[in-house]
Amino acid sequence: MKKKNGTLPWRFSLPSMVLITMIIIFPIAFTLYISFTNMNLYHWDDYRFIGMNNYIRALTKIDSGFLSAIVTTIIWTVLNMVLQIVISFFIALGLNIKGLKLGRLYKTLLMFPWAMPAYISILLWRVGMYNTEYGLLNKFITAIGLPKVEFLSENIPAFFSCMVLNLWMALPFLIMMMDGALQSVDHSYYESAKLDGAGWWARNIYITIPCIWPIIAPAIIMTTFTTFKQFDIIYLLTMQKGSLTGATLNTVITYAYQNAFVSNNYGLSSAVSIVIFGFIIFFSLFINRGIKGENI
Amino acid sequence: MKLKKVRCGILLMVLNLFFILLCLLVLIPIGYAFFLSISSGNSTFQNTLWVKQVTLQNYKAILLEEPFLIWLKNSTILSVGTMGIAMGTSVSAAYAFSRFRFRGREQILKLLLVLNAFPQILSMFAIFRLFKNIHLINSYIGLILIYAGSMCIFGIWNMKGYFDTIPVEIEESAAIDGASPSQVIRKIILPLARPAIIVTAVMVLIFVWNEYLFATTFLMKADSYSLAGGLYQLQSNDYSRNWPIFSAASILTSIPILILFFCIQKYMVSGLTAGGVKG
Repeated sequence: MKKKNGTLPWRFSLPSMVLITMIIIFPIAFTLYISFTNMNLYHWDDYRFIGMNNYIRALTKIDSGFLSAIVTTIIWTVLNMVLQIVISFFIALGLNIKGLKLGRLYKTLLMFPWAMPAYISILLWRVGMYNTEYGLLNKFITAIGLPKVEFLSENIPAFFSCMVLNLWMALPFLIMMMDGALQSVDHSYYESAKLDGAGWWARNIYITIPCIWPIIAPAIIMTTFTTFKQFDIIYLLTMQKGSLTGATLNTVITYAYQNAFVSNNYGLSSAVSIVIFGFIIFFSLFINRGIKGENI
Repeated sequence: MKLKKVRCGILLMVLNLFFILLCLLVLIPIGYAFFLSISSGNSTFQNTLWVKQVTLQNYKAILLEEPFLIWLKNSTILSVGTMGIAMGTSVSAAYAFSRFRFRGREQILKLLLVLNAFPQILSMFAIFRLFKNIHLINSYIGLILIYAGSMCIFGIWNMKGYFDTIPVEIEESAAIDGASPSQVIRKIILPLARPAIIVTAVMVLIFVWNEYLFATTFLMKADSYSLAGGLYQLQSNDYSRNWPIFSAASILTSIPILILFFCIQKYMVSGLTAGGVKG
């Protein structure tokens, strides 16, 4: 299918390209520009160029907090992804076992956390689950006679609280994708494997996983990016304006946001943003090479 | 053989039990919010876990005492406006990228993917400053443009993937019969690609309905709040007092999305993976 239509493709895609240039590309370019200046609240209009200073400050000074934010982000992404892939795989397997009559009902019920607006879920969890006074978790804990737990006031409990919430919100998507992929696997493979005496584990490792991989790989890559750029959970749970919980958990995204909108250090925040963008480009190229050969 | 049947039965029972427990566990946070929204008075402060008296006073309060209906109207304007612009621009672009081979096509597609991975929060300040200069802060048009721009890439990629699966011969015969390219899109592609278009449009709608950060940053007047902005304010003021009302508002805000979501669920896997598998 090769069509040469002159300017027609350009005319078709022009409106969207203009929109994307205006809303996405131009602001990124402007962020790059700001990252070389000392723009902040006191230098709103009379900022000047300070070269690479913002980058140096972000990347070499330990106390700037950026390096620890990178570590947190890596731990956050890896831990979340491993748990998500493993848990969703087994849940999807369970849903697809023959004879499970209520499978569809379970699937629908499990989709609820995905369907709920994210910020509402997070705010409901913040007060309804994790809060020390009204939270359901603490009501249970005190009901069985244990002292109250402050889930969000220190870094490590806050990290795991955020992680549990993230799993709750993100698992339905992967379960659904895994489930769809599992249904596309040809059943005759399993039967012949059974005849050859392959056990449950062997069947899954040698048939199921290779069969579903091409289908779920894009979903996993997509989820990795959303996990990496997860902002809402950490921000809304621990660092809302006026109601900080005491945890100083920062991923790179919340770090950049805090510098721009809380400490008003726009130059530093922009430099951090550009560094993050650099990482993203790097990983995209990496992934691109990984799935090369498939035509766009 | 009999032994095997028994084992199967036990396995299914355990599995059913597991899934029932899992579903209950997963639904607790939502169920608890619902329970609070229909319980009267300050039962949040008591240690009871059961409704003493079912009441709709919280729903009445949110609808009459808080400007919930105005927020609803604003959210609707934003969602529908964004959907219109995002779909209007991305359908034709997705068609162009799917059907025509032109210079820079692959590079643009790859660039779009990278741009899509860029978290928009990071350029929020730059957008804010730019919009301030052209007076688009506190205006729906400004916010709609931001939303449409960020969902446009998703739309192009997702629909392009689906268009790729539609055989080109159908169009060729229509073209021979004298249909213009825009007629081909409207009369042939749109009906055939319905799952992808519905899923994309609903995803855009849900995205806008659920977005709070840009909504609270770019719309700062109380009467222009969207649902997200309003609810955010409601809980950030004094949530101990507002908490039952907030739960009622949460339930009301979620219901349209839940309905939409479960309506398109059957299209979801095919509408989302056709693009993904090839990408």
